[in-house]
Amino acid sequence: DEIQNETPATFDFKAYMLQKGNSVNQALDQSVSLKEPQKVHEAMRYSLLAGGKRVRPVLCIAACELVGGDESKAMPAACGVEMIHTMSLIHDDLPCMDNDDLRRGKPTNHKVFGEDVAVLAGDALLALAFEHIASATVGVAPARIIRAIGELARSIGSEGLVAGQVVDIGSTGLSDVGLEQLEFIHVHKTAALLEGSVVLGAILGGGADEEVEKLRKFARCIGLLFQVVDDILDVTMSSQELGKTAGKDLVADKVTYPKLLGVQKSRELAEQLNKEAKDQLSGFDPEKAAPLIALANYIAYRQN
Amino acid sequence: LSIPSTQFDLRTYWTTLIEEINQNLNEAIPVQYPDIIYEAMRYSVLAKGAKRAPPVMCVAACELFGCHRRAAFPTACALEMVHAASLIHDDLPSMDDDPSRRGQPSNHTIFGVDMAILAGDALFPLGFQHIVSHTPPDLVPEPRLLRVVAEIARAVGSTGMAAGQFLDLEGGYETVEFVQEKKFGEMGECSAVCGGLLAGAGDEEIQRLRRYGRAVGVLYQVVNDVLKEKMKREKGDEMKKKEKSYVGVFGVDRALEVAEDLRAKAKRELDGFEKYGESVVPLYSFVDYAADRGFSVGDQ
Repeated sequence: DEIQNETPATFDFKAYMLQKGNSVNQALDQSVSLKEPQKVHEAMRYSLLAGGKRVRPVLCIAACELVGGDESKAMPAACGVEMIHTMSLIHDDLPCMDNDDLRRGKPTNHKVFGEDVAVLAGDALLALAFEHIASATVGVAPARIIRAIGELARSIGSEGLVAGQVVDIGSTGLSDVGLEQLEFIHVHKTAALLEGSVVLGAILGGGADEEVEKLRKFARCIGLLFQVVDDILDVTMSSQELGKTAGKDLVADKVTYPKLLGVQKSRELAEQLNKEAKDQLSGFDPEKAAPLIALANYIAYRQN
Repeated sequence: LSIPSTQFDLRTYWTTLIEEINQNLNEAIPVQYPDIIYEAMRYSVLAKGAKRAPPVMCVAACELFGCHRRAAFPTACALEMVHAASLIHDDLPSMDDDPSRRGQPSNHTIFGVDMAILAGDALFPLGFQHIVSHTPPDLVPEPRLLRVVAEIARAVGSTGMAAGQFLDLEGGYETVEFVQEKKFGEMGECSAVCGGLLAGAGDEEIQRLRRYGRAVGVLYQVVNDVLKEKMKREKGDEMKKKEKSYVGVFGVDRALEVAEDLRAKAKRELDGFEKYGESVVPLYSFVDYAADRGFSVGDQ
């Protein structure tokens, strides 16, 4: 079982990420042109093209290809999930929220463009994500695009991403936050959009319902995994290594996995989630599943 | 073209629709954990006194082409959700810094700036979700729905309402026309267009609805500004700061001329729908309502 789930030796993850990342960056660059009013579009591009790792878009494309779809079918959705991710970071960094000055190694959006433009640029990216998916997806049955739009909307709204942020804000500074509440925060704040990314890819790639559901479970595991690792990195790495303010969870008095479980137990939880994630892929062609397995490993073992 | 007022009663048409739309909106946002965000969303979307002009226009445009209003309800509700989202964000301290909206304290005044931002962020996607999950598939084929989603996203996006808000905050007074069209015309335009799209209207008809809806949206706001200014004068306090409105920039007389032009323009567009007979009447009555305010809805 363990061996079967290992990434095939022939799979070059670095080259894969580089190639997919480039395609995504190119598509993102074309999706937001410098129209009037220029400042709003500059602000959108500033954060969207700031060189993130593009984990969500690549997951979207990898899931699409795993179920037999072409990269092109998932590209507008891949761009869409990155736009949403960027938008949530812009709003999250605002003074009234996390009040962050640094993001992806650069000054945050509101530091450069002002709070008003940062709010508007976020709103505009959110809208653009839906417009882009609805109007730029080609070669996919409209019914599937509609389904994808519904999935994306649910994963980022008050039942998803926003719910996680609300509970996160509500629990900051509280001493009695339990593991269950912490999991709620991360399942919604981080896992929901990762799940959305994978599920959108699977739907647009033409996946059967049971394939979509397996990939949904896979995504939930790696979503939680992502956050457990993030929490560990926050206490073990420097700001320079992370490209964002380190130790900010401690400063903000936020509850984290290391705080509740200790670093060692958190690492064990990460291992367990990684294995659970890979178990979901056992029914797929190992060759085709290689990118997703490697992505899970990347999320588990990344250093920033 | 003159319509005898006895033949069509806009007030009844409107108030009947308001009731149904309010009920749908109420059901679309049930409170669940974490309660606070749903309460913040409901506070703005279900605000008493909301006139529901965008949804009513959407339904009227849909019915113009003989399509059942059931086809338009989910989109009509979505228009209110995204509209509320954009108003919540417009009112924020870093934006218009408005302490009140629709006669009640603005969202951030009650729930805090962080929750107000998140309530907006949640209402935008809820609108799209509501359309795709509630529109009856037997009435509206999927490709039309995709165009509706794209249209709403465009209207609230970086070249639509967000652009209007930006120039209202940071543009010069020469941008007044653009600001009015984007901040107030966009919602009318989008509402009329969505109704047409849902009903399967042709491209030329959609363009006509686009110009019509935009004119009515701006007209409504210009008349609002004129009425507000007149009320202020009666009370003896002149407008202190120059607002980026026709009244604020050009004065009441010029604003009234603009309103007359818009009224004529909107009706000219509707003359192109002559072949649909009686069903165009609600759209005409909207124009006169926006200009004359012959009765009050929603805020009794």
